[in-house]
Amino acid sequence: MSKPSYVHGLILGAFCLGFGVVLAGTDMVTSAPIAQRALEDKQNALSKVIPPGIHDNVPVTDTITLSNHDGKPITIYRATKGGKVTGVAYQIEGSGYAGEMRLMLAVDADGKILGVRALAHKETPGLGDKIDTAKTDWITRFDGLFLGNPPADKWKVKKDGGVFDQFSGATITPRGVVAAIRHGLEFFAENKTQLLEVR
Amino acid sequence: MATPSYSTIVKDGLWDNNGVLCMLLGMCPTMAMTTSATNGFGMGLATAAVMASSNLLVAIFRGYITYEVRVPVFILIVASMVTLVDLTMNAWMHELYKVLGLFIPLIVSNCLPLARLESFAAKEPVLPSLVDGIFMGLGFTFALTAIGAMREIVGSGTLFADASLLLGPAFKFMEMRILPPEASVLVMILPPGGFLATGLLVAGKRLIDIRAGKAISMGGAHCVG
Amino acid sequence: MSALTDKSGPFTHAPNSVPRIMNTVLLALAPATLFELYLFGWPAVFLFVISVASCKLAEAGCLWLAGKPVAPTLRDSSAALTGWLLAMSLPPWAPWWVPVVGAVFAIPLAKHVFGGLGQNVFNPAMVARVALLVSFPVQMTLFVAPQPLFSAGAPGFLEALSITFGAGAVDSMSAASALGYVKTELSRGIPVAESLRHVPDLMDLAFGSKPGSMGETSVVLILLGGLFLLVRRIISWHIPVAVIGTLFVLGTLFNTLDPARYTPGMFHVLSGATMLGAFFIATDYVTSPVSKKGQLVFGVGVGLLTWAIRSYAGYPEGMAFAVLLMNSLTPIIDQQFRPRAFGRTRKGEPLPLKGEK
Repeated sequence: MSKPSYVHGLILGAFCLGFGVVLAGTDMVTSAPIAQRALEDKQNALSKVIPPGIHDNVPVTDTITLSNHDGKPITIYRATKGGKVTGVAYQIEGSGYAGEMRLMLAVDADGKILGVRALAHKETPGLGDKIDTAKTDWITRFDGLFLGNPPADKWKVKKDGGVFDQFSGATITPRGVVAAIRHGLEFFAENKTQLLEVR
Repeated sequence: MATPSYSTIVKDGLWDNNGVLCMLLGMCPTMAMTTSATNGFGMGLATAAVMASSNLLVAIFRGYITYEVRVPVFILIVASMVTLVDLTMNAWMHELYKVLGLFIPLIVSNCLPLARLESFAAKEPVLPSLVDGIFMGLGFTFALTAIGAMREIVGSGTLFADASLLLGPAFKFMEMRILPPEASVLVMILPPGGFLATGLLVAGKRLIDIRAGKAISMGGAHCVG
Repeated sequence: MSALTDKSGPFTHAPNSVPRIMNTVLLALAPATLFELYLFGWPAVFLFVISVASCKLAEAGCLWLAGKPVAPTLRDSSAALTGWLLAMSLPPWAPWWVPVVGAVFAIPLAKHVFGGLGQNVFNPAMVARVALLVSFPVQMTLFVAPQPLFSAGAPGFLEALSITFGAGAVDSMSAASALGYVKTELSRGIPVAESLRHVPDLMDLAFGSKPGSMGETSVVLILLGGLFLLVRRIISWHIPVAVIGTLFVLGTLFNTLDPARYTPGMFHVLSGATMLGAFFIATDYVTSPVSKKGQLVFGVGVGLLTWAIRSYAGYPEGMAFAVLLMNSLTPIIDQQFRPRAFGRTRKGEPLPLKGEK
């Protein structure tokens, strides 16, 4: 009744081979659209923070890499118009109530904020998630501000003696966002020449 | 055991032997993906696609699969189908993939597909197996959508939010706001809410069965896993 | 506790019964509650009445649904006690629907789903409090400074109606509880030793003129109520002493090691829900272990978890979470510390006769 064990091995091998071929085929068909979708996602995120009027290039493909003061590499997406850099966008991290929050910050050539958006966070629904534009437009209040307006020592939430509103019931999330943006702007100020250098 | 009639297979899958509400299988996606009715619906359909195709394949090949290696082959088939769904959704249903993407690979670890392969598709002819896969999957979809709807209404005050992302713009009319946002009971869309909603629905199903005079069969002959 | 177990023999008569115990507990809570209601004024009175009434109503509804006799069980005050404890764990100026939703969690979900009085695994009032805290973080952390009845600035009857049945307390009236304040300050890098200077001193903490939940504030009156329960033998000393002792020892130890990071032991004991939790919540018959040794383990566990949650977790107060977590361990504790049956050894073997030795 029981077959020799190599028969079972062969059967299992044949199935593996068959489904391996099927998967390889699927991967060949889908890999191009998937790469395209990933690019579109990034582009979507960038277009939220970089206004379309200020560039004639495709920022998502025009990148340079710098390292921040922790030595961590940061990918910078650059918006250029007529050969001049008009804005840069990069990812910043803040620590929230429930772990790290990732934000996209875009700054124009003078250091003014073009836009900030939350990319990924785990903040409490109904409280900390008000940093998401899907819930409130709180995060758009940073548009047009720069280090100096308000002054650097006022880049805090109101509870800490700064100028930015916290949410009722949640202080830690906006505090983390404000600090992350301030660090992001400081990063811009420190690396301004490199960021705006045309290559 | 004789092959059950199609009407029995359909009734078993949708209600009598429902994968979630009766057999309590596939609890991981049930808890994780039911924060809204739309998510539950999408996850249910993806699982249904995997179950139908893997049931079909196993029923076709069952003559060639020896008893000793059946479990690795079953898992291979389920995993392949999941990867297919994963890649396809990523490429052509990207908006939905962004919501469900993290959980699609979890279908492999869902014991419901494997349970149906072992207890149905490995013994029955091709067509009944396909029907079983489809209707067990639809029953799973029904349960996840019901749990999702319950959690969504109480937890965020909406019903079928973002349904148009899943089904296309024509289904915008399904997106409803039932309660004002201040009245939402957050705990229902957090993890404990999954257990509460599932428990209440399981109790509700048994209540309906008792009222209908049916004998309660918790588990039953098909329950493997 | 002992009085209850004695009842198993039909030949012994004990004066205690469920309604009697419940009513004694309510009596012990009464002074602290009255003082709190005075401190926080009419909104607190409304909240208290709504909480007790909705728990009673939910109990009646559940009994009726389950086809059990409604009147006798309803009269035993257990639902009233749940509603009472729930009200004491809420911010006094919360809007009316907070205790109503709480009652839905406490009575049907935490109590009757498990089979009603005596069958529940978790303390119903604490289940409700945790569910509310997670669901409505804004309303559940909006504390106000005490504004005694009839004092200047306190809301009148009609104004109070609009607070309870309208929007609740507004942001501008809010004041942080002592535990919450220390936690927020620590999160922005202010050491505990510094922020402690800005919270009410220990005397104020003890007598209750500070912002907080209703039952968090008048520590001395709650302590007196707890002692009354001890004297009446409704509870034994094991759980309260273990809870408070553990909190005090851990708090003092870590505060000595690093005063900038950890709050002192007395602060732990006198702030938050320590007293209410230790005497009235952790000692719940149904959800705490039966044996004395088990109760000690249970109490130490509650104290340890409360201290850990207060010191390390995101929420400033951890009593409710600690009690629920230990509730889930109660069956295991009971199994490990089974009392010796009369005439038998711990393993259940018959004791050797004296002559056989």
